[in-house]
Amino acid sequence: MLHSYEYLVTQLINGITLGAVYGLIAIGYTMVYGIIGMINFAHGEIFMIGAFISLITFVVLGIVGITWVPLAVLIALLAAMILTPVYGWTLERIAYRPLRRAPRLAPLITAIGMSIFLQNYVQLLQGARDKALHPVIVGGFEIMRRGDYTVSVSYLQILIVVLTVGLMAGFTLLINRTPLGRAQRACEQDLGMAALVGIDVNRTISLTFVMGSGLAAVAGLIFLLNYGVIDFFIGFLAGIKAFTAAVLGGIGSLPGAMLGGLLIGLIEALWSGYFSIEYKDVAVFGILVLVLIFRPTGLLGVPDIEKV
Amino acid sequence: MAVADEALAGPRPLNWRAILIEAALTAFVVFLLTIALVGADIVDFSDTVTVRPRLNDVIAAVIIAFLGRIVLVLLREGRNRIVLATMVPLALATFLILLGGSLGIGADLRHLLPFRDPVVCWIIDGAMIVFALRALWTMRRAVKVTLSDEAREARADRTAARVQRVARMIGPLIFVAALALPLTPLANRQILDIGTLVMTYIMLGWGLNVVVGLAGLLDLGYVAFYAVGAYSFALLAQFFGLGFWTCLPFAGLMSGTAGVLLGFPVLRLRGDYLAIVTLGFGEMVRLILNNWQSLTGGPNGISGVPRPTFFGLPLLPFVPEGHESFFTFFHIPFTPEARIVFLYYVILGLAMITNLFTMRIRRLPIGRAWEALREDEIACRSLGINPRNTKLTAFGIGAMFAGFAGSFFATRQGFISPESFTFIESAVILAIVVLGGFGSQLGVVFAAIILIGLPEFFRELQLYRMLAFGAAMVTIMIWRPAGLLAHREPTLKLFGAKSRGGAK
Amino acid sequence: MSALPVRDEPAVPELLPKGAPLLEVEHLTMRFGGLVAIDDVSFVAGAQSITAIIGPNGAGKTTVFNCLTGFYKPTVGRLTLHHASGDVLLERMEGYRIAKQAGVARTFQNIRLFPRMTVLENLIVAQHNHLMRASGFTFLGLFGYRGYRQAERDAIEFARAWLDKVGLAERADWEAGALPYGAQRRLEIARAMCIHPTLLCLDEPAAGLNPRESAELNSLLIEIRDREKIGVLLIEHDMGVVMEISDRIVVLDYGRKIAEGTPDQVRNDPTVIRAYLGEEEKDELPGEIARDLGAGPGERG
Repeated sequence: MLHSYEYLVTQLINGITLGAVYGLIAIGYTMVYGIIGMINFAHGEIFMIGAFISLITFVVLGIVGITWVPLAVLIALLAAMILTPVYGWTLERIAYRPLRRAPRLAPLITAIGMSIFLQNYVQLLQGARDKALHPVIVGGFEIMRRGDYTVSVSYLQILIVVLTVGLMAGFTLLINRTPLGRAQRACEQDLGMAALVGIDVNRTISLTFVMGSGLAAVAGLIFLLNYGVIDFFIGFLAGIKAFTAAVLGGIGSLPGAMLGGLLIGLIEALWSGYFSIEYKDVAVFGILVLVLIFRPTGLLGVPDIEKV
Repeated sequence: MAVADEALAGPRPLNWRAILIEAALTAFVVFLLTIALVGADIVDFSDTVTVRPRLNDVIAAVIIAFLGRIVLVLLREGRNRIVLATMVPLALATFLILLGGSLGIGADLRHLLPFRDPVVCWIIDGAMIVFALRALWTMRRAVKVTLSDEAREARADRTAARVQRVARMIGPLIFVAALALPLTPLANRQILDIGTLVMTYIMLGWGLNVVVGLAGLLDLGYVAFYAVGAYSFALLAQFFGLGFWTCLPFAGLMSGTAGVLLGFPVLRLRGDYLAIVTLGFGEMVRLILNNWQSLTGGPNGISGVPRPTFFGLPLLPFVPEGHESFFTFFHIPFTPEARIVFLYYVILGLAMITNLFTMRIRRLPIGRAWEALREDEIACRSLGINPRNTKLTAFGIGAMFAGFAGSFFATRQGFISPESFTFIESAVILAIVVLGGFGSQLGVVFAAIILIGLPEFFRELQLYRMLAFGAAMVTIMIWRPAGLLAHREPTLKLFGAKSRGGAK
Repeated sequence: MSALPVRDEPAVPELLPKGAPLLEVEHLTMRFGGLVAIDDVSFVAGAQSITAIIGPNGAGKTTVFNCLTGFYKPTVGRLTLHHASGDVLLERMEGYRIAKQAGVARTFQNIRLFPRMTVLENLIVAQHNHLMRASGFTFLGLFGYRGYRQAERDAIEFARAWLDKVGLAERADWEAGALPYGAQRRLEIARAMCIHPTLLCLDEPAAGLNPRESAELNSLLIEIRDREKIGVLLIEHDMGVVMEISDRIVVLDYGRKIAEGTPDQVRNDPTVIRAYLGEEEKDELPGEIARDLGAGPGERG
């Protein structure tokens, strides 16, 4: 069964779902890195907070009596996408903006500090145990079968792919066609010059964080719907893997983040499916190390020439 | 450059409308932040999940944010008297109610407090006291002086320099105090345990200081070398029956080698990337230790790790026929405390060796090369310094000391498992180095006492310990990006006495 | 590549005679993707001489330096450094080895000192390799080995001598970052000299200096050439410095060498003048414009 075509397709579908989550989070990493040149270490926690807010919304909706699934999912999506970016915005304002001119190590350490703070903040407020949600979107259809083994695609997975592709398309449009996108690209290239030509640099940076957080929030919602169980620690691992995805795709490159996310998701699913599930994280970390050693600019990134 | 402000001309009138809008916006942001996570407590029953509303806390948070913002604006505008007039009585009242609460008096007054959780109320109380102190401080200066970043850094550096000069006298005093502690009546088992724990972290901090403080390499996976040291010793003891002292150099050697091996491919990466890669390595080591059951026992770890002996004499109550124990040799009755005291002195010795080593090496060419590399790697290359080997040396030496500390950890517990070697440990050690001030020896000591020692005393604070860690890291970095006691003492001087001891 | 001893021994090495080729650049080409920064440049810098590379901005001068000192790998070309004991090819040497083994020192356009280390420490770091060996690669030094302590004292003395030469001796314990600009430039040169180089490459050493400081720089460089007998290669825009002290000048424009020779030859070379000042107007001005400018018809602009 392990070597059947059907099993492969199952793993590929799993990988794509996982890849969507990582890709959405990776966009946040890559955008922030592109514009202010630092790794937002606490971004994984934003994803986790998005998952928690989604969960809370679902439960509250259940209590209030709104159970029609599409509406509930929509409301949860909106709630997550509105409330989570407030955390991202606050993060930037409190921990990163004051250190924009500080030596390189300082913002990284604040980021780690904020990451620890947010993890424990949620742990204190919501408890350390897992939180589970009953399956919200159920059902699917099978696409192939061999004997007893069926390969099915669930409605949830379809929703995830549609949602992710839609968001990424919309995002690309935003970056390439709107004034905000232009402002952001200008800031990425030369922050000082962008300020000199009249771009509100602070606002652009804040909006970058907000947008990245919004996407991470959606990733949180997807994670919650797909796996049904969350805890305050999911941000740590997902964060590192999404960062690996961003690096693999080429840090600073938006299509790179999406591509990287997909690849990491597939690699993780296939490794779990075919080799060993215990070491799947080791595999992903290994990729991070290998990419950074041999091709630090990633697949779609642009090499950096050192100017003396 | 200090710029005298308009305080000489009298404070400008307050624009209450703008202030209220500002406060309202802050309150709104806090509302958005808290409405979901604070307002709703997810409660998981066996078959259902539901939410317990905590809207009181949300309202309290919003109101406090509103008022707090106003106080901040008042401070900014120099209205110190109003601030004092409001903060002092409120702070005092809160303090008394909280104090009474913990002593068991006046429980009904607790309803006046904004939050149910006393720790949060203490934090708010602390904030009020800080506001009051700031108002007081500003009032004592005739002119409100706004310093530029540079001037503030320079002043903080002078303060740190002064502290370090004092520290050069305090340092030996602290050492003597630590030496004498077990002999004083103050020393009970708990104190000695805490002391041993604190000193382990001090040693780790000094080791990481070489990598992060001197060479400027951000290592987020330091715990991996700690683990390698611990497991090396445990495995050598398990398979070859070797004792602590025999294994100690091996553990250091293995960790050092691991440091060189892990460092080799990645040390040319720039700051942020290096940090993430080392974090990845740390996690990989932990995962491998957790899953390689046949070698490491997986999540169950390795138990039965031998305790250190006193020159070959075990500190055991019973020994087989024909062998001596420490107690029989010196004709002392067996006490369980003796072993604890012995462990205490072992780590004290190890830590002091680390200290002497790092202080010495800073004044050798390799130490200066580390600092130069931290300042400007390109310039180093142009002077013929091999950056890769220099970084590897720092990494390897730091790893070696982590290995020694790991062995000690294993022997102290008698048992190790991968659970003790998570990323949080790396973060804690990094926090100790950062808070103390990169490169500052004494800073590490104080930071370790505060971060490790204090929470052990206040057991109820355990839950908040990590929260405080994170907050402290952020606060210190924003306030003093170079660390609290960071002041670089030159390694040699042309004029004046050669600096003794370097940065303490 | 011949195996050379590490070139930071205080002992005076055998010297090449004045004017003999010290650095030979042959067909140097540097391409970044589609951009050709340097195109087939060849020149010779002589021993115990000062050679200047000049040219308009963007001509590729710093790129040449970066190729010489190992920050870029040349696309094509050979860079030979001659020593009395043998030749060294620089183009494939690893960055730090060029300073350590070939003896090429450099300063940077944007000064690169170690700002939080003291002036003295900057010069001691330059003597790193020698001191490392004296400390037994740290091991002997840890135990207070007497040989190392003596070596450290000697290094301090050597540094002090250079500090005296550049007038920074009283500020030896200052933080390097706290020095005024001109002093920082001089410190950088002193630091480069502390590695006992055979060739000293200076990237715009006179930038930002006032006339008095420029004159002091001139005497310092002449002293380095005559007393220390080191070959100097410098990039410079300040024609006062260049014409005053150079033995030979190489002129680059758009990545190509357009002239080479003594200061007098280069000063009067029409190609060089054109590169710096632009073409002379050959066409007549249109009538109306000439009238507006007050020039007669048929006059050139």
